[in-house]
Amino acid sequence: MSDSYVIVGDGIAGASAAETLREQAPDAEITVLTDEGESLYNRILIKEYAKGKLPEAPISIHQEEWYDEHDVDLRLNTVVVDIDVENDAVHTHEGETFEYDSLLLAIGGTPQQLPVENADADGIHHFWTFQDARRIKESVEGAERAVIVGAGLLGIDFAAICGAQDVEAKYLMRGDCWWRYALSEEGASIMHDAMRERGVEPVFGSGVDHFEVDDDGHVEAAVDPNGERYECDFAGVAIGLNFNTEIVEQTPLETDNGIAVDEYMRTNVDNVFAAGDITTFNDLVLGEQGKNGSWGSAKEQGTIAARNMLDYGSEAFEWVSSYSITHFDFPFLSFGHPTIGDDSVEATTAEGEWRRVALKDGKVVGGVLIGDLSPQSAFKQLMREGRDVSDQTDLLMEPGFSVDDLAATTEQ
Amino acid sequence: MRYRMPLRETGRRLRLRRTGWIPPGARVRHYDELGEDAQILVRKLAGRPRTAPEHGDLDDGDFVKFTDYYQVRTR
Repeated sequence: MSDSYVIVGDGIAGASAAETLREQAPDAEITVLTDEGESLYNRILIKEYAKGKLPEAPISIHQEEWYDEHDVDLRLNTVVVDIDVENDAVHTHEGETFEYDSLLLAIGGTPQQLPVENADADGIHHFWTFQDARRIKESVEGAERAVIVGAGLLGIDFAAICGAQDVEAKYLMRGDCWWRYALSEEGASIMHDAMRERGVEPVFGSGVDHFEVDDDGHVEAAVDPNGERYECDFAGVAIGLNFNTEIVEQTPLETDNGIAVDEYMRTNVDNVFAAGDITTFNDLVLGEQGKNGSWGSAKEQGTIAARNMLDYGSEAFEWVSSYSITHFDFPFLSFGHPTIGDDSVEATTAEGEWRRVALKDGKVVGGVLIGDLSPQSAFKQLMREGRDVSDQTDLLMEPGFSVDDLAATTEQ
Repeated sequence: MRYRMPLRETGRRLRLRRTGWIPPGARVRHYDELGEDAQILVRKLAGRPRTAPEHGDLDDGDFVKFTDYYQVRTR
């Protein structure tokens, strides 16, 4: 009898695992369970759909026929309600049981709701799924004013959507700049100017105390902690994710702000693996437990998990992630872990070009590039090599920086 | 998802043409989906009248989302 693999989740982590399993185990039974109503789509591009820049069709990656052609049993709209690791089985909301030899949990997260009054009102959107994008697009097209909350990489997508659809927006931020944990005010000012050019006004030292709703329960204003009232036709909230660990709470699976896995994507139960946003993994580059929510990281984790489901220990996950923002006429890229570290260097390298590199124990652990992305590969290489650059950090800020420059200096 | 070899030896040249219209049947990829070599190529060619050797990660007719939308053309 062939081995059976059950994958929970059909995002890029689950789907890349299914692809890898099928390639390397042609006779395996593969089942993919997802609570969504559509098969794998491009989560990076749904913001482009909401902006009105892309039609629906190019967002889809796997049509349902793909699963038939690859002999993968796809179950849409299927919620897993219980994982029985003692008996190697998962149970669904419709009472079905799927037994497995090996299980992959690629169950991701759910957007956090603001803990304020009327946070669940009609017209308050979170942005995670394609269905979210459809609802946002519909709201935006009939709107004149919006409020955005969440001064990070997901919140800025709302700003871009408003800008692209000619909706005037107030972007309420608690601190004094956008993504204050990774950028200084100098770097962030480039982003603020880009927002303003598109009709999105950053409001600093703000946030949301509560939302006001009309008689139909639709949001009509956000009131910040200073008492300022911002009228809106809709609100976009992107303050982070809650990882979907409820399903494993009654199991022996270890959790640590997600499902804890080793560098092979295996949990503390031998035949249960996890991949994608849900994991807290042994980050070989960082040398400690890490998390990562980027598309490339999730895809790689799915592939690595599948290889280790087939042959444990065959390949470790060792990856430097990056995430770009392409909404403006200049590029923005964050890499590694730009919000951690014990030191940093930053510089404006040309007009509209800025970079910051975060360091820990003298080693590069992440950073942000605005305008000029050319040092991206060099900084990632330094991270992978774990190179101590503590006595030459100035070189990292040189406009044409390459790793060779550093080597030459080291050798002197 | 389709798998591609990163390098080709066809002698064809690749360029990126800025475009504002994406047809419904198009294959569109975001900068973040590309490998590092292809990302370097996109940064080099986007918005510039330059060509480069064909790359296995970028097919003729594909669209790439970087700071704008670009269509991959090879000849």
